[in-house]
Amino acid sequence: MLFNSFHFVYFFIIVTTFYFIMPHRQRWLLLLLSSCYFYMAFVPIYILILGFTIVVDYFAGIYIENAQGKRRKLFLIYSLVANIGILCVFKYYNFINTNFSYLLHGFGLSNPIPYLSILLPIGLSFHTFQAMSYTIEVYRGNQKAERHFGIYALYVMFFPQLVTGPIERPQNLLHQFREKHHFDDDRIFEGLKLMIWGLFKKLVIADRLGIYVNGAYNYVDQQDGMTLLLATIFFSFQVYCDFSGYSDIAIGAAKVLGFDLMANFRRPIFAKSTGEFWKRWHISLSTWFKDYLYFPMGGNKGSVPRWYFNLMVVFLISGLWHGANWTYIIWGGINGFYLVFALMTKKYREKFNSFTGINKFPRLHLFFQILVTFLLITFSRIFFRSQTVEDAFTVIKKILTFKGSVFNNGTAILVYSFFAISFLLIAEFKKEFYTGSFTLSHHKNFWVRNSYYSLLVILIILFGVFDGGQFIYFQF
Amino acid sequence: MKMFKNNSLKIFLLKMCAFFAVVFLLDFMIGNLLKNFYFRQQSGYDFLTTHSIEKAKADIVIFGSSRAVNLFNPNIFEKEIGMTCYNAGRVGEPIFYHYAVLKSVLKRFKPKMIVLSFDAGNFSIKQDAYDKLAVLLPYYNKHPELRSIAELKGPHERVKLISNMYPYNSLLLSMIKGNSSYGKGRGNDSNGFRPLKRNFSGPLKTFDYSIEKELDSVKVNTYRLFIQDCINANVQLFIVCPPYMNNPIGADLSVIEGRKLAKEYHINFLDYSRDTFFTKRMELFADFRHLNEKGVELFSNKVTDSIKAINYSAH
Repeated sequence: MLFNSFHFVYFFIIVTTFYFIMPHRQRWLLLLLSSCYFYMAFVPIYILILGFTIVVDYFAGIYIENAQGKRRKLFLIYSLVANIGILCVFKYYNFINTNFSYLLHGFGLSNPIPYLSILLPIGLSFHTFQAMSYTIEVYRGNQKAERHFGIYALYVMFFPQLVTGPIERPQNLLHQFREKHHFDDDRIFEGLKLMIWGLFKKLVIADRLGIYVNGAYNYVDQQDGMTLLLATIFFSFQVYCDFSGYSDIAIGAAKVLGFDLMANFRRPIFAKSTGEFWKRWHISLSTWFKDYLYFPMGGNKGSVPRWYFNLMVVFLISGLWHGANWTYIIWGGINGFYLVFALMTKKYREKFNSFTGINKFPRLHLFFQILVTFLLITFSRIFFRSQTVEDAFTVIKKILTFKGSVFNNGTAILVYSFFAISFLLIAEFKKEFYTGSFTLSHHKNFWVRNSYYSLLVILIILFGVFDGGQFIYFQF
Repeated sequence: MKMFKNNSLKIFLLKMCAFFAVVFLLDFMIGNLLKNFYFRQQSGYDFLTTHSIEKAKADIVIFGSSRAVNLFNPNIFEKEIGMTCYNAGRVGEPIFYHYAVLKSVLKRFKPKMIVLSFDAGNFSIKQDAYDKLAVLLPYYNKHPELRSIAELKGPHERVKLISNMYPYNSLLLSMIKGNSSYGKGRGNDSNGFRPLKRNFSGPLKTFDYSIEKELDSVKVNTYRLFIQDCINANVQLFIVCPPYMNNPIGADLSVIEGRKLAKEYHINFLDYSRDTFFTKRMELFADFRHLNEKGVELFSNKVTDSIKAINYSAH
């Protein structure tokens, strides 16, 4: 069930209505059943995989808590192996097998291992990571094991964030299922506002840009460099609006029901460095990797080479998390390299800034920092968007020639795309640099707020792309 | 047990009413304004669709996608067959659109002859064929005869059409063009016919038509209904498959099915898709799917000759 479908609208109205009518002690059951329905609307049978991880991690949590000494670690390892094992089978098996075939082929051998003909369960990486964060936190003693099976299942399955996050932590979410949520009109309106803004980003911006991006990237060989350059810039905005739009709807839907999910984006367009970018982009995943991989590996505590090594490993794994394809691994590698390079050159860059005197013009300096960060991140996304590594290199080669004209598959598509990007930039710029001033969305006058959100709905109806389909991050 | 904060539900309902009141008011006002602008267009694709659905009258009406719009010259049909002719094709549109326009045409008048341009892959399974039905939405309320076809767009179209603005989604720019002098001459020339003047320079691509293994049954059924409606209205129907400039491999499943159904209803199916008269002469093509102006003249003459020959032998 997609957030941008009528199916979800009906579903959400029914669930919310019953949620506030039902007594508190039965609400978890309603949420659990509706989450099952939500997930089964995609591929029903895959609920069994989810069920398996829930059962494993539920008992793992209790055993870890009850056990002493090495046995605690052993139960944690069982749980992690089960979760990562499922990821490997459903997400990485064919990828590993393909690469194994290439390897054997190099030695003149054929691969006897068969391929699996399976669909990737929707949002597998998201709920697997959320489940793993639970057992790790129980192991670390930061979270008590949840004894109520239904509530634990709900922690993994809570429908607003089930398929594309935010990837929650048990300390933030689990206790909320036990809290009593009253019908609070202010809170509901806050949630609905976020949902409208998320839908706007998805339907008016992301899916509109997607028309041009798909037209260019699906026929890389036939496009000129300028077209691919424009499509790559468009993709940078598309993927942001697509994913952050989903997160906004998820956080908004949870808020309507009385839950607070963690923020997932903080205007990454205005990041001043690639390091800052990762503190603003997909925050729930970045912090997951930081808490459960980067710090346990030693973070920046060891030697400098070890620190760089840790960063590279985290980003390569982050790339692999996104998809079983070398394009994602390279994408992760490039982003890791950016961070390492930034650390290595920090002193020289500071000297360069003093030498040129650009730091005497803070606004200009800030503009260049934001622009360079945006371009670096956009460059890495060529790999993220391309279907193969060969395609990505073709795109880069063609862009570097700066030849040809911009492919126009309809003036309207380009005009609406520029309009959509401009609207986003103005809205985000205002939020970033003028928080609290000129606010329409939170204006003290009800009619101003009301008109602003009515206008957003009108723009969605007038300019939204209603045939755009899935969210990009569903595939992960 | 207290489920609601003091007056919370009441305030919520009042605010929601206020919100929807503003949305509905804006939707009503802007929707009607857009409707007015839409039907006042003087040029462009939407203007041509309105003209085909509401105004055009001719003895011969041509239907089809870009290969109808660019390849069937009504002037040659008029000259050769001696009847008035109008090209009601629309670029990029599948059989659903043609059938919807046919229904509107037959409701207004009875042409003597209908020519349906048929493409390879006409019945292939593609979601965008349904998405493209959006072009019919502005006519949904005004033309009840095409509602059933417009509703094929999706299961919730009726709900979406509660909005007065929704039918004009993404059309603002094209409406501005259609209402301005800038847009004049965008395709409202030559009875719906738009010749292509460029020359195809290759390279010739090999196209494997046998890849398609499955057909869209809704499209096949719509094609069948198109034929049946023509027969029921006692209108002579010719289905014509224009030539392609490529190296074809295998047979196209849609063409096979199209021919089979035409035969079932005793309709003439004129297949030029691999006619060597055209396929050996690249200079007659604008691209691999479309003939250029020079090719169109030869092609339109060839089609009219065949129609005349068939009608002559029938009499």
